[in-house]
Amino acid sequence: MTAAHQATSESIHQTATIARTQLKVGLEIHVELATRTKMFTRVPNVAHPDYYDAEPNSLVDPVVAALPGVLPVMNRRAVEMAIMVGLALNCDIAEFSKWDRKNYFYPDLPKGYQISQYDLPLCGDGAIDIPTRDTATGDVGTRRIGIIRAHLEEDTGKLGHELPGGHHYAGSLVDLNRAGTPLLEIVTQPDFDSAESVVEFAKELRNICRFLGVTEGIMQKGHMRFEPNVNVIIETTDGHHFATPIVEVKNLNSFRSVRGAIEFEHKRQVEEWRKTGRVMGRGMKQTRGWDDVNLVTVLQREKEDAHDYRYFPDPDLVPVTVSAEWLESIRAQLPELPIQRKKRYMESYELPAKDAQKLVDERDTCFLFDAATKLSVMGTHGGGFGGEPKAGYAIAKLLLNNVAKRGNELGKEIGELGLSAAQIAELAVMKEKGTIGAQAVDPILAALATEAGASSESVAACAERLGLVQVRDDGQLDVWCDAAIVAQPQAADDVRNGKDAAIGRLVGHVMKLSGGKVDAKSVNERLRAKLGR
Amino acid sequence: MTTIAPDERVLHAARIASGNASAEESVRTTLARIADRNPKLNAYRETFDAHALAVAAALDRAPASAKAKPLAGLTIAVKDNIATTEGKTTCSSKILANYQSPYDATVVRRLRDAGAIMVGKTNLDEFAMGSSSENCAFGPVRNPHDTTRVPGGSSGGSAAAIADSLCDIALGSDTGGSIRQPAALCGAVGLKPTYGRVSRYGLVAFGSSLDQIGPLTRSVRDAAAVLQVIAGHDPLDSTSADTPVDDYLATLDQPIKGLRVGVPKEYVSEANDASVNAAVERAIDTYRSLGATIVDVDLPLTDLGISTYYVIAPAEASSNLARFDGIRYGYRAPLSRDEDLFDLYAKSRAEGFGAEVKRRIMIGTYVLSSGYYDAYYKRALQVRRLIKNEFDTAFQACDVLLGPTSPTPAFEIGKKSDPLSMYLCDVYTVNTNIAGICGISIPGGFATVGGSKLPVGLQLQAAAFAESTLLRAARMLERAYAGG
Repeated sequence: MTAAHQATSESIHQTATIARTQLKVGLEIHVELATRTKMFTRVPNVAHPDYYDAEPNSLVDPVVAALPGVLPVMNRRAVEMAIMVGLALNCDIAEFSKWDRKNYFYPDLPKGYQISQYDLPLCGDGAIDIPTRDTATGDVGTRRIGIIRAHLEEDTGKLGHELPGGHHYAGSLVDLNRAGTPLLEIVTQPDFDSAESVVEFAKELRNICRFLGVTEGIMQKGHMRFEPNVNVIIETTDGHHFATPIVEVKNLNSFRSVRGAIEFEHKRQVEEWRKTGRVMGRGMKQTRGWDDVNLVTVLQREKEDAHDYRYFPDPDLVPVTVSAEWLESIRAQLPELPIQRKKRYMESYELPAKDAQKLVDERDTCFLFDAATKLSVMGTHGGGFGGEPKAGYAIAKLLLNNVAKRGNELGKEIGELGLSAAQIAELAVMKEKGTIGAQAVDPILAALATEAGASSESVAACAERLGLVQVRDDGQLDVWCDAAIVAQPQAADDVRNGKDAAIGRLVGHVMKLSGGKVDAKSVNERLRAKLGR
Repeated sequence: MTTIAPDERVLHAARIASGNASAEESVRTTLARIADRNPKLNAYRETFDAHALAVAAALDRAPASAKAKPLAGLTIAVKDNIATTEGKTTCSSKILANYQSPYDATVVRRLRDAGAIMVGKTNLDEFAMGSSSENCAFGPVRNPHDTTRVPGGSSGGSAAAIADSLCDIALGSDTGGSIRQPAALCGAVGLKPTYGRVSRYGLVAFGSSLDQIGPLTRSVRDAAAVLQVIAGHDPLDSTSADTPVDDYLATLDQPIKGLRVGVPKEYVSEANDASVNAAVERAIDTYRSLGATIVDVDLPLTDLGISTYYVIAPAEASSNLARFDGIRYGYRAPLSRDEDLFDLYAKSRAEGFGAEVKRRIMIGTYVLSSGYYDAYYKRALQVRRLIKNEFDTAFQACDVLLGPTSPTPAFEIGKKSDPLSMYLCDVYTVNTNIAGICGISIPGGFATVGGSKLPVGLQLQAAAFAESTLLRAARMLERAYAGG
């Protein structure tokens, strides 16, 4: 239906009743790759953890400063990292791609052009499934997001108005530390219909990139920046559809601002249509910025005064050719991705989807889980579980219940507590073998993981120190059980007469006598035997 | 006929290397000659007297093993668009008038390592844009054969310096003829290597897909010796080739048996000066007498070279020169309080660049603009491919192409005031760069014009990475002309 044509009556946008509005969002994401050196020269890269805190303009060489006569040389590792992301997003990897110059003047752009990829990107045509959560039921499903392309380019420097130490400066200052950092630009299809799904995707992408090791994904440092293209399909009660002009919101670097900007645009565009009736068309695209204080988007520029970037192939660089061998060697470096891990956890460990999802939501938690599971069935711990499936299940529960609880107390993610995989494995095995009781797990974790960080103490030593090791001496158990029966004759009679619930009082008595060092299950069994049940 | 005796400075280097000549004495002689002649020629923008003498003295004192270098003690003049840590690197532009490079170009480093001693930086057409060395922020360079005439360009300073013995060897850069044409007009040897044969790292970019650094010398042997040192892959220049470097000197004096010399009929034009066509005829006769076969060749696209070049080179230049923005280094125009960033860019560049540079930036910006890209830039790349194919075909029938370097001998300063007539000076040289092959200009005789005896150059071109063939063919002619 050509609704826009039918609805030419001048005031329809003012008079029509809106039946529903539907968001339509596509996303551009910039990911700073954490290579050791920059995209086109060997000076260290500020996006690499070793150089996060480098002094302004300390990561600059003649190439970064665009001194006369210098030439760019491609960083192969950056291309490999970009291909890894491309493969993770199920993209086609181009056998042949090239570098182009995007020409414009700005003080943070030393060469007066940015080296980018214009018409032949490294990665094209992909898609990924992202987890979706039904907020009402908590059910976890998936949604497929198409990827149009992903290409490599170099980041710009930064402009500022403050001297180091936060002192005001009357002019503008340029810091070139970020200039030349490898930047992967990913462009999705307009497959999102809510701010929620965009944020889900953004989080999943960040997680994938962290699993791949191409970035630590620290949002405050600008490792990932998001630019949603937003418009709204308005459906009126008389069946007409109107598509509002597309707005690109620039440079969002938190999930909160992504959500805020999209939700704000949804509302603003409907109101704007009410006022002007303007619909999507040539030259209508706007660029807006997000005001994090007033929580509104602000007009930056209309498409009419858009730049002509005069793209042309960069004659200083040779095209990128990706041989089958190179591609395979990169593919071989790919770690198991979150969605694959989740599937494996559900199948091999019989974990519920919700738990499996929680494990893969955080890379460090996930790595801790996998390592602990492996350790728990190996060498010194061998035999604790009847094989890996049972171990996986038990360790998942230990992490998601007890360790997560300790994490909450300290305001940290599971992976941030500093506990080693060996400690987790040992704890799980000791609990499984009954060396410690279930009630001993939390106090042990509290002793091992503290505000100041994690102790390297072994779990066995810690349990010993805290006096939480179970007594396995049957003679001693007999003595405590007999004492309980003598001390609580009424309860003992009740059990003998079939009142099962009464055994709790006797068990409690034994636990008290033993100082918690016996396993409640064994106590229960022993008492029943003695009472003829 | 006039004989032209080549001056082989590598023989002098051998004497210095073996301790039979003094580098310091050689440098003193060169500096004294510069002091005497440069005020008339303006070939050098600056000289490094103290530096050169110190390096020479150290070389003289060095043990024999450390002296044994191919270019030991040879004085070298460097075109001022090549980065050197000595002195400034100005590109003969006001915008870089005070710019000092913190690094040496790869070629400069290699030449220093080979024992050459840098004596100074030579003037050029601003950013190598020109064919007369008149577009220079520090005054025009003059031809040593007649100081009322241009030395050619853009490597006019290097050409004048080498021709007037103000150095032993010189470096130039060639984007459309900027080594060969001034070599021809000054009576020197000028070699434009194959694109990718010599690292461009440190050469201030003009047309990146066309630029090559090469030597200007007083003999083919010296050109071969310098190329031997500067050729080869450079990890700092991804467009430099991995192709192995031949031993140019080993085979230089071996005449090529059965050499096939192609003579494109498009190169012997009515529009050429008679002296130029006569020099080509004489070279044909000489080659024939040396046993070479003369092959008629068709290069019908020759005429398209200039228009193709004046799309591609300015397009690349418009982008390459964007870095001169007054922000990080170079000239920054003073601003009044109410002026902003745009004014900083506009005024710094308007005041810092000369007219020809601005003209080419505007042409380049235009041909890359949305809506014009396909009609100009893309079309030019297509023609470039055709020109390259034409050369590929020609080199199946011959080993080298022979023709004039320049349609005329040196012209008078101020004579060519319209840009187009200046652009046409490069009609025989631009296609070498467009095709990415190698070319050399060697002295081919003299023309007597208005009482002055002016050199006439001959150009030889060979296929990509066929420098060995090119140099041997050039050496055959040079030896014949010297009566050897």
